[in-house]
Amino acid sequence: MKYPLASCLFGVLLAVFMGPSAGAAEESPVSPDDLVYCTVCHGMQLRGNRNIEAPRLSEMDAWYIEQQLVAFKNGWRGTHPQDLIGMEMRPMAAALNDTQIKAAAKFAQASRAPVPAATVDGDADAGRTHYSTCAACHGVDASGNEALGAPPLAGLNDWYLVRQLENFRDGVRGSHPDDLYGAQMRASAALLPDDQAIRDVVAYITSLQTN
Amino acid sequence: MDNLTRRRFLSLVGAAGGSSAVYKASMAMGLLADTGPMARLDIKSAGRGGKEVVILGAGLAGLTIAYELQRVGYNCTILEASHRVGGRSLTLRHGDVVDEMGYTQVCNFDDDPELFFNAGPARIPGHHRRVLHYCRELQVPLQVKANINRSAYVHESDHFGGKPVRLAEYVTDARGFLSELLYKAVDRNAFEQPLSEEDRVRLKELTQAFGDLDQDGLYKGSSRSGYKSGGFLGHGELKEPMEFGALLDSSFWRRGMAQSENFDWAEPLMEAVGGMDNIVKAFARQLKKPVVLKAQVQAVQLREDGVDVIYQHKGQRRKLAADYCFNSIPVHFMEGIPNNFSQDYRDALNAFERGNFFKIGLQMRERFWEREGIYGGITNTDQRINQIWYPSHGIHGSKGVVLGAYAFWNQSHFFERMTPEERIRYAADCGERIHPGYSDYIEAGVSVPWGRMNHMMGCGSRMTPENEERYFDRVRQPEGRHWMVGDQISYHSSWQEGALASAEYALNDFDQRARAAAAISSKG
Repeated sequence: MKYPLASCLFGVLLAVFMGPSAGAAEESPVSPDDLVYCTVCHGMQLRGNRNIEAPRLSEMDAWYIEQQLVAFKNGWRGTHPQDLIGMEMRPMAAALNDTQIKAAAKFAQASRAPVPAATVDGDADAGRTHYSTCAACHGVDASGNEALGAPPLAGLNDWYLVRQLENFRDGVRGSHPDDLYGAQMRASAALLPDDQAIRDVVAYITSLQTN
Repeated sequence: MDNLTRRRFLSLVGAAGGSSAVYKASMAMGLLADTGPMARLDIKSAGRGGKEVVILGAGLAGLTIAYELQRVGYNCTILEASHRVGGRSLTLRHGDVVDEMGYTQVCNFDDDPELFFNAGPARIPGHHRRVLHYCRELQVPLQVKANINRSAYVHESDHFGGKPVRLAEYVTDARGFLSELLYKAVDRNAFEQPLSEEDRVRLKELTQAFGDLDQDGLYKGSSRSGYKSGGFLGHGELKEPMEFGALLDSSFWRRGMAQSENFDWAEPLMEAVGGMDNIVKAFARQLKKPVVLKAQVQAVQLREDGVDVIYQHKGQRRKLAADYCFNSIPVHFMEGIPNNFSQDYRDALNAFERGNFFKIGLQMRERFWEREGIYGGITNTDQRINQIWYPSHGIHGSKGVVLGAYAFWNQSHFFERMTPEERIRYAADCGERIHPGYSDYIEAGVSVPWGRMNHMMGCGSRMTPENEERYFDRVRQPEGRHWMVGDQISYHSSWQEGALASAEYALNDFDQRARAAAAISSKG
């Protein structure tokens, strides 16, 4: 080595650095050129980026991504005056044509990224009880049910799940007359009695994906 | 005034202007040791065999680092995610693409080099010595840019009948009223400690000079506001002062009256002739290797003796193995880019909050403001557009581009939620209340919400003061052979000088480490 101490100076901590690697990148498809936009906020391989409030979309079912992009595009989602984050997303979806929407959905489903770390402080045991209602549509393992219009919940960021449950509960999401599935979900979210129940049920869902 | 001791008062007066204020402002910006021109950087040569440096982002920080390091023998590759060089140093002209998320705009100004809009940084004060150093070295022509213009307007929707008032009138009256009050306070000896007769005389003279009071210490208007009539072929007739109550009720003294005393905005300011991106172009011309455009970074992997950068370019994933990496990617994106950074470094990077600015540029078919006696400078309004800027160049030309809105920080969200067409219409309506007929002059317009721009999603990132205390030093230190740089890694985010300060810091840090390593190596 040319600079023996250089490696000390520059890399004394490197042994510790070798944490999560970019391993998933190689298995994940290259972003199609016109979908690079998605990765700017949602991160590489759509791994999610909380700094921009953009959730992980990797491995999500294509049917659901498509449905929600259409929801954004048609204004069922991202138009409520309190949905500030949805409003950030909406123009992007509105700019996509049908082919691009399908391609984006396919890209999301094919993308691979590590399961997100738990960030929400909730009681998974208490959440299990609440989840029994959710399980009817989303499945006991939270893997979703296309026939019922219920997306998989496993693999989503817990902070995103909390926000969406709050949005449904507060009518920020699911109150547009054309958003039929959203209306269903809105009614279900109302069953969660308080913020703690939301955190608990999310903690339970997170425990399903990490187990 | 009862609780104000003489000593305290005099020190306050001292601080309101002059060297003390300058000194404090300098301290706050960490510029105290920085007065005088910037010295040319002295970086140790890369030596034989060269070394690979990868620079992420072709904004001013990245360009500067490439320019300095290639000069001493490093092989520098700049990867840039967007379609253009310059980052937020963006000047828009005819045909330029504004790559906003969801709304791709094409600048529809006339094809005329005089018609441009600085959508990012637009002003250079004389103490931004790094920017000025490179402008001098790279021979970028600069010109004085009017910033505060006493002939421009102060406009408040619910005050002064909603009519614009000349800045000169507003400021002169405000100072006149305050001075008169102070003059009376001196007469009544309303201080905790008695003033000597000599001090009283001087203090009264000072208030008279400050507020242009008459010999009895009364403010009855001043020629500083301009005359109501006359002044050349007849006696100038003073304008009636506004009502003190109306002035007190208005809000400009709170929002903007001290603008010209802000250290970074104080006259005179400068701008690059022909557009601020001429600074960018000057750097780009010097590069031995062209910037790789549309190259989005997919992963940053630190090695013991270097950094691997995986990026996507022309539909393929590629890997660049470098010895060193300088990274100016907006910090908030790093959480979405796979990396093997340590947790404490990631925590520090995630402590940043996305900043936000919004600007509109409007091409006007006539320079109507010049007919109102306004040549350059800024009109302030309490409407959401905040400001209208008049161009300092192209005086008496046929057309001009004005800044039609400038929203700061979270004010930007209001405009971000509109379509580009809605934004222009909104700004036109606001302008109409200041310059009747404004809308009809608008021929073309373009809006730039930095919080929605592709590969940016923000501008002027910053941390809370507590997080600055905790993390700032960490983020400017390297992680392995990887340095975060850019205006974001400075106490002057959203200024070009902040980007250059960060670049200079990183280069000096890099050089110190390289020299230390070389010294050890030669001994060993």
